[in-house]
Amino acid sequence: MSFSDRSGLIFNLQSYSVHDGPGIRTMVFVKGCPLRCPWCSNPESQSSEPEPGLNLVRCLGLAKCRICLMSCPHGAVKKGIGYPVLDREICCLCRDYSCRSSCPSGALIVYGERVKAPDIIGRVEKEGVFYNRSGGGLTVSGGEPLKQPDFLMDLLELAKRRRLKTALETAGLAEFAVLNEAAGLADVLLFDIKIVDRRIHEIFTGVDNDLILSNLILLMEKKPPHLTVWVRTPVVPGFNDTPAAARALGRYLARLPAEVRFEALPYHRFGQSKYSILGRHFPMGSLRLADGILEAFEGECLHSMKMAGQVNCTSPDSESDSWSALGNGWERGDDSKRPASSDRQIFSLKL
Amino acid sequence: MRRRIWMISQALSPQEMRLADLAAGRPDPILDRHSRASRLVGRILGQKPVIDVERALYFTLSMAETQGRPLVLRWAEALRKVASHINVYVTEDQLLLGRAGQPGRYGILYPELDGDFLDLAVTLLPGRENSPADISPEDARVVIGDIAPFWKGKTYHEALNLALPSDVHKLTYDDEAGLYSRFIVNETSSFRSSIQWVHDYGKVLNRGFKGIVKEAEANLAALDPYNVVHETEKRPFYEAVIVVSEAIALWARRHADLAESLARSETDTQRGEELLTMAAMARKVPWEPAGTFWEALQSQWFVQMFSRLEQKTGTIISNGRMDQYLYPFYKKDLDQGLIDEDRALELLECMYVGLAEFVDLYISPSGGAFNEGYAHWEAVTIGGQTASGQDATNELSHLFLRSKREFPLHYPDLAARIHSRSPQSFLWDVAETIKDGSGFPKLINDEEVVPLYVKKGASFGEALDYAVSGCTEARMPNRDTYTSGGAYINFAAALEMALRDGRMLKYGDNQLGPSTGDARNFSTYEELFDAYLIQHLCLLRAAFIQQYHVNKQRACHFAQPMGSALHDLCLKHGVDLHREFVPEGINLGYVEFIGYGTVTDSLAALKKVVFEDRKFSMPEILEALDHNFDGYEMVRAILRSAPAYGNDDPFADDIARELDRISVEYAARYSRELGIHNDIRYVPFTSHVPFGQVVSATPNGRLAWFPLSDGASPSQGADTEGPTAILLSNFRTKNLDLSARAARMINVKFTPKCLEGDMGTEKLVAFIRAFCDLKLWHIQFNVINQETLIRAQKEPDKYRNLIVRIAGYSAFFTDLSVELQNDLIARSNHGQL
Repeated sequence: MSFSDRSGLIFNLQSYSVHDGPGIRTMVFVKGCPLRCPWCSNPESQSSEPEPGLNLVRCLGLAKCRICLMSCPHGAVKKGIGYPVLDREICCLCRDYSCRSSCPSGALIVYGERVKAPDIIGRVEKEGVFYNRSGGGLTVSGGEPLKQPDFLMDLLELAKRRRLKTALETAGLAEFAVLNEAAGLADVLLFDIKIVDRRIHEIFTGVDNDLILSNLILLMEKKPPHLTVWVRTPVVPGFNDTPAAARALGRYLARLPAEVRFEALPYHRFGQSKYSILGRHFPMGSLRLADGILEAFEGECLHSMKMAGQVNCTSPDSESDSWSALGNGWERGDDSKRPASSDRQIFSLKL
Repeated sequence: MRRRIWMISQALSPQEMRLADLAAGRPDPILDRHSRASRLVGRILGQKPVIDVERALYFTLSMAETQGRPLVLRWAEALRKVASHINVYVTEDQLLLGRAGQPGRYGILYPELDGDFLDLAVTLLPGRENSPADISPEDARVVIGDIAPFWKGKTYHEALNLALPSDVHKLTYDDEAGLYSRFIVNETSSFRSSIQWVHDYGKVLNRGFKGIVKEAEANLAALDPYNVVHETEKRPFYEAVIVVSEAIALWARRHADLAESLARSETDTQRGEELLTMAAMARKVPWEPAGTFWEALQSQWFVQMFSRLEQKTGTIISNGRMDQYLYPFYKKDLDQGLIDEDRALELLECMYVGLAEFVDLYISPSGGAFNEGYAHWEAVTIGGQTASGQDATNELSHLFLRSKREFPLHYPDLAARIHSRSPQSFLWDVAETIKDGSGFPKLINDEEVVPLYVKKGASFGEALDYAVSGCTEARMPNRDTYTSGGAYINFAAALEMALRDGRMLKYGDNQLGPSTGDARNFSTYEELFDAYLIQHLCLLRAAFIQQYHVNKQRACHFAQPMGSALHDLCLKHGVDLHREFVPEGINLGYVEFIGYGTVTDSLAALKKVVFEDRKFSMPEILEALDHNFDGYEMVRAILRSAPAYGNDDPFADDIARELDRISVEYAARYSRELGIHNDIRYVPFTSHVPFGQVVSATPNGRLAWFPLSDGASPSQGADTEGPTAILLSNFRTKNLDLSARAARMINVKFTPKCLEGDMGTEKLVAFIRAFCDLKLWHIQFNVINQETLIRAQKEPDKYRNLIVRIAGYSAFFTDLSVELQNDLIARSNHGQL
């Protein structure tokens, strides 16, 4: 095997990422995901193939520019009212992407770029001075990086050779062997657990979570000593923003045989505009996460971990009674005792 | 390809939370805790400044009496008249004495600079859009009737206007009298007597003016009476030092008299005691050395305010390394139980209010445009290294940071020196203060400044002891010497001239630069760049010729006996600091490169779109520019998609580095004849706004008359790769093999979300360390939500104390013109999810 042979499909490379792993990081987002979460903020990541998009906010409009109408040799870009329309049935994702390169305003997009690990590592290393000082490095995210195992291992291995620290963000749905191999190379694993309830998981994401849940437990049983694991849960309205979900998660986390860090992430709608770019409907509509839910979720989760015998769990604010009077099952509590937002993100579980 | 999120963060910074509280009518906890400062601040918030004419009047009267005598002695006599005649004030609640004008926010006039159009200016100033000021009808009559007439034909500005050769004049001024700027090679020397400066305040605190006078007397006694230079130049200088030293002591004692008489009628016993203490101090300092922290601060304040009466140091006199020279006094008082942190803070806050009340007025229209929002640059330096290279951080450094977080106004201009061994505790505190939302402190990097200054001739000890001065500059108060304000060069104008055969749309048929051919016929990028290079060098040449005349005229028009008294070399050699050459001095001047991002991006866009991708021809581009892209939106969009400076993209950065190289090499080569270091600097103040107003549409897709890029920051909105790329682009576009460079000003804007919590602080500290590693000169941060700015623009009354960072200084957002507000709003946010 040589690095130069195996390529991967990515849709973004982002500098100065400060919310996905330690320090200041560069994130590479790979394409393709086995889950179909309706709240997904990277819908362009889901398909394993390149995918065209049309951003009408950027488009100059047909009155000022009509280049795209001529650019597609297959006629997939058509005249609409004032603006072009993309006929996704006709678009065959020809390899030259002439529509993308012709569009002056960057409104016509093709998500997906074939790259090889050395190119990525080269671009990542340009930011090295920031990793030196912050303990940062490369974060591979997605999509689901485990779906492109060859490319992922290339990235992680080459990074290791170049002495770059790496983090891997995964939803955990892959063969255990693949996960295990990647975990052996990465320094930090950001592992998403959406919900413990198998049925709800399947209804919302299209797949059940048996493999996800067992993968994490299996991994933690023989966790390499160098690896730090962060479990992250997006708290999503109408999906898992309930005490029951938080408690079940707490109990599950309590069963993990080694230390993890846990972080609840608030649902947000910043991905919404990408749905219209992809010509899709945004399934979440105008749903928002109610105030206080995130903190209540963390509190409930922590509480049930304690109940399950995890007496050593620590948290900057281990006030497990800090419930919000939120209704909908969140009845215990007193809003004023909520932990300060800066202190609440992460707590550790120790065995 | 790259995802770009315009962060609309829900997480507010502490400053934003405070503003939201105030807007909702909730009490401000910080104002509550600092009751004296809150009373003092409450009286001046939102006040339009008033012009006080006393300084100008007595200065003028004295100068009229002393015509023909040596300039430095005339200046000292004029200051003696000012010191003995202007009103002195004791401000309610204030713990420091000494102000240069009436209560409230005020500004004073310097007719020696621009008295030729003072009469015109005072009629225009109240209604001016940028930084307006009021003047009473009686005072206006004094200016028009008594002050202005004396100066007609005698001012620095008129002399310079006459001295400039016509080819330079037409790039400098828009009119024959030189009242209006062309904003191409903008001279800044007529709205300030010198570039920014910082005194050796420690000398006054430790020796008092008494000690300085003693030295001057000894030097006077040692003069050779048969030596012509000694008798005609040095003797008047030393005499002037003595006169001015006595004048400041006299001025201080007048305050003591007033405070004493007020104490007698004061009914509040606590205030009565304060007044008596203040009176006793004003009898002692600055003539005698200071004893306590309060005395030290009072002595410094007298010197600083008298310095403002002495001349217009542009842009303002700085405070120097306050955590160093005040520390022995602070430590002693602390050990003796005379003072605690809160009392020290209260005294510092009294100084900040004094700073806030003094408005550095810019009389000329171009001066006002350069300094929007009553800019303040009276930098207080903290941190850094000692002269022997040890870390200099102490408890006072941290106290200044705390003070910055708790004081509600944007004073003083706090500057932290950073070096490779800056303690983590200091950087953490710095980062927490930056997160507070007001952008302070700005950071200056020892790792860039110290070696450069050694290369320019300083000893390591002198270079290590530099103080931040003004917005980004560094001064060695006993080694480097003055330069009059240097030229600000609009290189976007050079670009336009390269595209229009030496002309600009704004100035019609006026042939401003050399004819470099019809740009429609350029068939290679090299042809285009060669044309640009000729225009670029033409502007540099004009700037250097301008500087030659500026340096000559300055010595004939300005003297500065008090400032010179505080300078080792001046006192040793008996020469005024304004003399063209001070023996052993290192004269650190600069010319400003304005429009760095605009020019780079324009050249990059033409290179890519016209000469590489051949999407459009030069005639098509020029046609689009002529129409300001109206009807050519597609052309504009393609140009804007070309690589741009600030993204760590070699395509653009290589061009930027070449622009830097030709400028720095020019400076290195031709500064020698001027006898100064006329180095290349990238610090605009707010000049990128008026400069943009004379430049038509540019090939980077910038519309006509819009602001140019700011300092060494990327063009507005062109930086899509985040703050790490901005720093890396700056690093990669420097020519580290050359040394004729000075500050590069970099603004980086963060949303609070990026910096949230301890993890956010940790990452900001790491970011600052990386900045230090990259040996970049300066950086400042702006932590704010775009939403907040937009709301503040719509409801200025609710946000009148919203502080933002602009071009090296801080101002109230609502004090800025709409245009500059929009510029700030347009700059990319780097918040990410």
